[in-house]
Amino acid sequence: MSEEILKALTQLFAIITKQDGGVTENERQFVIKFFQTELDQDSIKEYLELYDNISGYKKQGTANEDKNKLTSVKDSVKTLGICKKINKTLTQKQKAVVLIKLLELVGSDKNFTPHRIEIINTVSTVFNIEQEEYNLVEKFITSEKIEELNFKDILVLNSSNEKSAELQKHTHGHINGTLIFMRVNSVGMYFTKYLGEESNILNGFIMEPNRVYLFSHGSTIKTQAGDALYYSDLVAHFNEEIKTTKLSFNANVEEFKFPNGAIGLRDILIAEGPGKLIGIMGASGAGKTTLLLTLAGLEKPSKGEILINGFDINRQKDKIQGVIGFVSQDDLLIEELTVYQNLYYNAKLCFADFTEQQLQERVMSTLENLGLDQRKDLTVGSILDKKISGGQRKRLNIALELIREPAILFLDEPTSGLSSRDSENVIDLLKELSLKGKLIFVVIHQPSSEIYKMFDKMVIMDTGGYPSYYGSPVEAVTYFKKATHQVDSNRGQCETCGNVNPEQIFNIIEAKVVDEYGQPTNKRKVTPVQWNDMYKERFKIQRIEDVKEEPPSTLKIPNNFKQTIIFATRDFLSKLSNKQYLLINLLEAPLLATILAFIIKYKSAPGGKEYIFRFNDNFPAFLLMSIIVGLFMGLTVSAEEIIRDRKILKRESFLNLSWNSYLVSKLSILFLISAIQTLTFVIIGNLILEIHGMTFAFWFVLFTTACFANVLGLNISSAFNSAVTVYVMIPLLLIPQMILSGLLFNFDKLNNLISTKGKVPFIADLMASRWAYEALATYQFTNNDYEKTYFQYHKEESKADFKAAYMADELKRRNLFVLQNFESKNDSIKNLVAANLTILIDNLKNEPFKPGMENTDFSKEFSLQNYTKIRGGILDAYLDDYKKNYQEISNKNVDLAEKKMAFYEKKGFNINDEKNAHYNESLADLVKNVNVKQRLLEYDGQLIQQINPIFQDPSPKSAVDYRTAFFLPTKNLFGQSVSTYLFNVLVIWVMTLLFYISLYFEWLRKLVEASGKVNIPNKLTRPFKRKQRFGNVS
Amino acid sequence: MKALSIGLIVLVLAACSSKKPDDQAFLKSLDSVQTKGTTIDEEVINSILQQIPSPLEISVLLKESGTKYNSNILNTADNLSKYNSNYKKALNLGVYGTDLGYTNIYEQNQDGIKYLTSIKSLADGLNIGQFFDIETIARLAANSKNLDSLLLITTQNFNSINHYLQTQSRANLSVLLLTGGWVEAMQITCQVAAKDPKNKNLQEKIGEQKIILEQIVLLLSFYKDDENMASLLKDLSDLKVAFDKINIIYTYKESTMKIVDGVAVIEDNSTTTINITDKDIAAITSLTNSIRNKIIS
Repeated sequence: MSEEILKALTQLFAIITKQDGGVTENERQFVIKFFQTELDQDSIKEYLELYDNISGYKKQGTANEDKNKLTSVKDSVKTLGICKKINKTLTQKQKAVVLIKLLELVGSDKNFTPHRIEIINTVSTVFNIEQEEYNLVEKFITSEKIEELNFKDILVLNSSNEKSAELQKHTHGHINGTLIFMRVNSVGMYFTKYLGEESNILNGFIMEPNRVYLFSHGSTIKTQAGDALYYSDLVAHFNEEIKTTKLSFNANVEEFKFPNGAIGLRDILIAEGPGKLIGIMGASGAGKTTLLLTLAGLEKPSKGEILINGFDINRQKDKIQGVIGFVSQDDLLIEELTVYQNLYYNAKLCFADFTEQQLQERVMSTLENLGLDQRKDLTVGSILDKKISGGQRKRLNIALELIREPAILFLDEPTSGLSSRDSENVIDLLKELSLKGKLIFVVIHQPSSEIYKMFDKMVIMDTGGYPSYYGSPVEAVTYFKKATHQVDSNRGQCETCGNVNPEQIFNIIEAKVVDEYGQPTNKRKVTPVQWNDMYKERFKIQRIEDVKEEPPSTLKIPNNFKQTIIFATRDFLSKLSNKQYLLINLLEAPLLATILAFIIKYKSAPGGKEYIFRFNDNFPAFLLMSIIVGLFMGLTVSAEEIIRDRKILKRESFLNLSWNSYLVSKLSILFLISAIQTLTFVIIGNLILEIHGMTFAFWFVLFTTACFANVLGLNISSAFNSAVTVYVMIPLLLIPQMILSGLLFNFDKLNNLISTKGKVPFIADLMASRWAYEALATYQFTNNDYEKTYFQYHKEESKADFKAAYMADELKRRNLFVLQNFESKNDSIKNLVAANLTILIDNLKNEPFKPGMENTDFSKEFSLQNYTKIRGGILDAYLDDYKKNYQEISNKNVDLAEKKMAFYEKKGFNINDEKNAHYNESLADLVKNVNVKQRLLEYDGQLIQQINPIFQDPSPKSAVDYRTAFFLPTKNLFGQSVSTYLFNVLVIWVMTLLFYISLYFEWLRKLVEASGKVNIPNKLTRPFKRKQRFGNVS
Repeated sequence: MKALSIGLIVLVLAACSSKKPDDQAFLKSLDSVQTKGTTIDEEVINSILQQIPSPLEISVLLKESGTKYNSNILNTADNLSKYNSNYKKALNLGVYGTDLGYTNIYEQNQDGIKYLTSIKSLADGLNIGQFFDIETIARLAANSKNLDSLLLITTQNFNSINHYLQTQSRANLSVLLLTGGWVEAMQITCQVAAKDPKNKNLQEKIGEQKIILEQIVLLLSFYKDDENMASLLKDLSDLKVAFDKINIIYTYKESTMKIVDGVAVIEDNSTTTINITDKDIAAITSLTNSIRNKIIS
């Protein structure tokens, strides 16, 4: 209390006592006593002098009536001045105490004169204390008859069984005389006084009769008969909300085993009703957090059950949905959003039935309750880049749970890392909530005396998960002191200051045996088991009767679609507010496109005078790089998403929100980013490299690839526990994509184990890059404005030319071999003959050109048994016709292409210009595979055309045989011929869909978890899974 | 998402099916032009083709005549990009073949490789790329000692291409290939001769080409139906007119037999006299130049 205030109070005291008869000795003694509690010995004199001066002590009787009247007016003015001064500095609680002190002062000699009362009344008015409350306080102090105390804020405790006035509350107790409690509702304070003869003990001190005591948090009164009255009990009597809340919490954790087999909790019984603030304390490694997690249903006890209103928390989750709130030790905030937004979107997910206005009101009122309303528009900021203080962060974390008002709230060390002031604020808030009927469990570490006393009950755990105490916090000290036969064991708190030292408890519990040199050893004086034995003897915990209705819950989750929208909006806003993220992501693609395209654009025209797209040898590589860029951007933008959100998901796991909605919201935002990124990339890349008419086609492939990467990224993001791991994974995912893209390494020149001649290796089919590359390359080649015009002719020409130039001769050669050797008796030659016949049959049975062979069943007539010289001769002759036929077809198509060119040239088209602008030689060489030495290859008993894949048709063996060589222009899709572009894009989307399914079921995470039992804390679906070490992070 | 992707696919399809509306017009024009091409007896063509010497042989003469290497008289390899139709491709494959031979004889490997690349590219375009194993050729070209084998390989290649085209019923390309090669050889010879007007040997060599030109014109005449070939035929016929002014007098004398070192050797005593004037040379040079420029442009 400041000097100024004390002076003001002294003046008030003096002015009041001076009225009507002046100061009596009793009154002066009261003032002295008051000074003694507030001041040191030296200052008392000074203030007493001041008091005597004003009150006119020792000068009594000299004043006459007139003068008296005059002074009283003067005093009234003076009183007003003093009160106004006090108003500015004291809190309402303190003012209530001052008022009570004044009344008590007057009451000390029962000298209630009108003047005095009038002044006190003035004080009360200036202090903004309501008249009703003033009347209550006045009556409480002045009256000695309990019948007169007809107020609802009065509780009487005596041995009678009935209440003496209608409104007052009454409770029965073994006591002589009467204990009266008063609640000053406006400030939430309780005062008590005792009328009677007994010496009851309040917080370890004897109560003087008829003296008013503040009954603060954690106070206890013990009667001579041994009954104890706790603060929490008292509060329960007054509190209507607690009485109406239907809540029962019965936990019986017989055993909790960690995955490694160590036992974390043993035989813990907790039974509580509504309106309690319960602390959980214990040495480090005692299992506090484990207990909290188990009680909250985040961990399942290996034996035992936890019942809320009779519903098993682990088995009947749907019945208790929204009942439980959990505030973990970590910050679970979206750092990019403001305080308000954090709360608002959370509320939106909780209250589907609220109107916008209701939501806003709810959010604002929660913010006000937590004293965050002034900070509502500040961004939360990361821990390193703090925008709001640690205490505010903590309070916001709590607010996020509070906003939906869960009936049972669990908090893991809500005060860690907070200043003592912030800690107190947080616990104050929790206390207040408990008074509203919530049941609150708090793991607390090294609480201050103030905080410690605020708890209604304390559970103290000992190493190894043994419970060692369950009961009133202040009494814990005396319990342990008594148990170890310490002196002064009755005193829980300090005689003069009322402080409790919770550290004492642990000093006793963990006291070590001292060796002969006075050094503490590792051995404890009392082992956890011994403490537990004592505990079992001392604490007989009564199970609370189960309430027979569903616990109160205000939660109403919106439908999946709305959830998606809320998630997406929230995510979108948080991304928008992160300027760096936004800038990098939007600039990345155009920047990369510029760098890439700029570097590979050179004077490519023959003679090196200018840039012509047609001669840009880098174009095939550019296509690959575009795909890699798409994959890379897609991966990086998504790889951190779930990890970053994991803490939020952790919190929201209590809401039982739709995982699918969350994923869809993530994907829609990621797809949007990818669409923008790939579009800017393609536009700029194509602009610089002068690639015409390909923008949309290229974009769609890159977008598809990026989307695939997005989903892939989310998969790894959900599977691994740190961003670093995920970023290390990226090369692991990307490099195979590069290796098996088909450009860097020829598919025909891969390890024999994976390579199949004439077909893309199966392993490459798993790579999105290969599909994307093929799509881009074939599309560009077949659909560019130049080639498109002649493609059909070129294709027919090439197909016919191959048959005429290679196939005919090859078949002829083989037929000749058969003709010469089919009668051979040599087994190896026979085998060769058979193989050659198979090849002949394979290649001719579906041959459309068959004059002279119309009625020939190849597979029959050219089998080894049926082969004859005559048949061989016929075949030989046929092959000559075959060759000639295809030569003609080929020449005809050449002719047509030539004619078409001439036709366009006549129409004024410059074919060369068109080709320069649209056709790329390098790409053409690639898709035509011109550098292959062996144009026709025998592999695995089949003849394979190696040249000109871009002019080939697929030859599927069945409707689902999609496999072809690389760069074929069409593919077989269930018997339909589909352009490679469409087919490949479809394949990537199917892959994307598969990865989405894997993401939805979290297959990768489960795989990672299963493989080698790698420890992954912070898991998603069971986010609070502890590390496999024995103990507790404190 | 599904709707979106379907929408996008539709867009892609739409994007694919636009452009070039006059495809129909072309097909129509085909119908109207459709005339029955004369059937050409390939055996006749083949037999004539066999008689035409490889234009590469001219290059050897040039070097022997002591003229210096001059890359400016050749068709630049950069022109490659201009040849899009098979007609142009085949003609210029011949042109580049001659140029390659020229550079090879003068051991200009750097230029030679450029021509090799162009030749390979044109051959690929004509579906006859298999005759050029570019790796082997480049390896040989890197070492001037391999020159003989390089020349041999290329000559052989051209021969086998000719042969191959004939077997593939694409003798027309073979004709063009030879024509291109011959015109380029003529061009080189004329250019050299123009700088060295005193060289009777060269002039006679030019004069000698009269016989070959006659055969080429004969060959081309088989393909009159083809617009391109017809135009080429016309140009070469003009050139033939210029050549017609040249008199080649062939004086026959009985061959004699001599015994040299105990071996009987028959000596051909006939002589060929070529009467060619500077005016003729100038006319031929100018005509050749214009035809050749038409071919390479």
